[in-house]
Amino acid sequence: MPEQAVSTLKMLLVEPETLLRRTVSLTARTLGLGQIHEAASMPAAERLLREQAFHGAVISIDCSTATERGYDLALLDLVREGQSSSDAGIPIAVMADHATTELLRELRTRDVTRVILKPFRARVLLDAFAEFEAQRKK
Amino acid sequence: MLAPAIPDDEPDRLAALRELLILDTPPEERLDKIVQFASVEFNVPIALVSLVDSNRQWFKARIGLDACETSREISFCGHAILQPDILLIPDALADPRFADNPLVTGGPMIRFYAGAPVVLPSGFAIGTLCLIDTQPRTLDQVELTILSSLRDLLVEELGKPAEASNA
Repeated sequence: MPEQAVSTLKMLLVEPETLLRRTVSLTARTLGLGQIHEAASMPAAERLLREQAFHGAVISIDCSTATERGYDLALLDLVREGQSSSDAGIPIAVMADHATTELLRELRTRDVTRVILKPFRARVLLDAFAEFEAQRKK
Repeated sequence: MLAPAIPDDEPDRLAALRELLILDTPPEERLDKIVQFASVEFNVPIALVSLVDSNRQWFKARIGLDACETSREISFCGHAILQPDILLIPDALADPRFADNPLVTGGPMIRFYAGAPVVLPSGFAIGTLCLIDTQPRTLDQVELTILSSLRDLLVEELGKPAEASNA
């Protein structure tokens, strides 16, 4: 992760595990990586996405959900279809328990910039947010 | 080996520790989660919440270590509570303060140590959140900041009633 000045990025982290979510948020603030808004659930994330504009998002998708395909990409669709307050093309990284060929294909069609698999580490999520900043500067 | 110094505020520090009513209590999931997270995050075999009592360090939460306490005289954490920043020992064998420490020359064969002092809102350092490895290594600035964040979350947890946090 490169040294950088304080970022003005406003980002969203959707992750149900409190310890991971709060560690990333606190550390990003200390490192000046930007402002990370936290959502512990899909409904909370959906509300935030409708109300506020973000420069990027890291979204944990629930691979145990009871949908037909076994995972729920509704938040990604909300953004990419322009139904959120954010630009539809914001960078999005996805956290998943495991990745099937089908899931990877679906993520690719939704322009997901990075897939993060278990074990989830705060360092990896912070690197993803730092990449968002780097992409914005390009 | 250099035994840790006793801080100037020792009587008040010990009083603050004992007021928490946490010494010699059973493990708590909320604190166990923090050391489990630290062990995975930093890829270390041992992570501890160590509380520095008058003559011992006692581990409220631990992963990778069977012992529940050691004497304060040989503790790394006794040194860590003496400074405001994280105590980072990349290679204990190369550090004259610790090279002949029995925790280095014998089990658990400590080579790497990083201890973030746990400072209560009252200002008293009661212990550490620490990482231990049997191989030399170090932490970069991002990792040090992550450890500080985890320590801050630990301090928050210690300020909550145990029952409420476990609910």
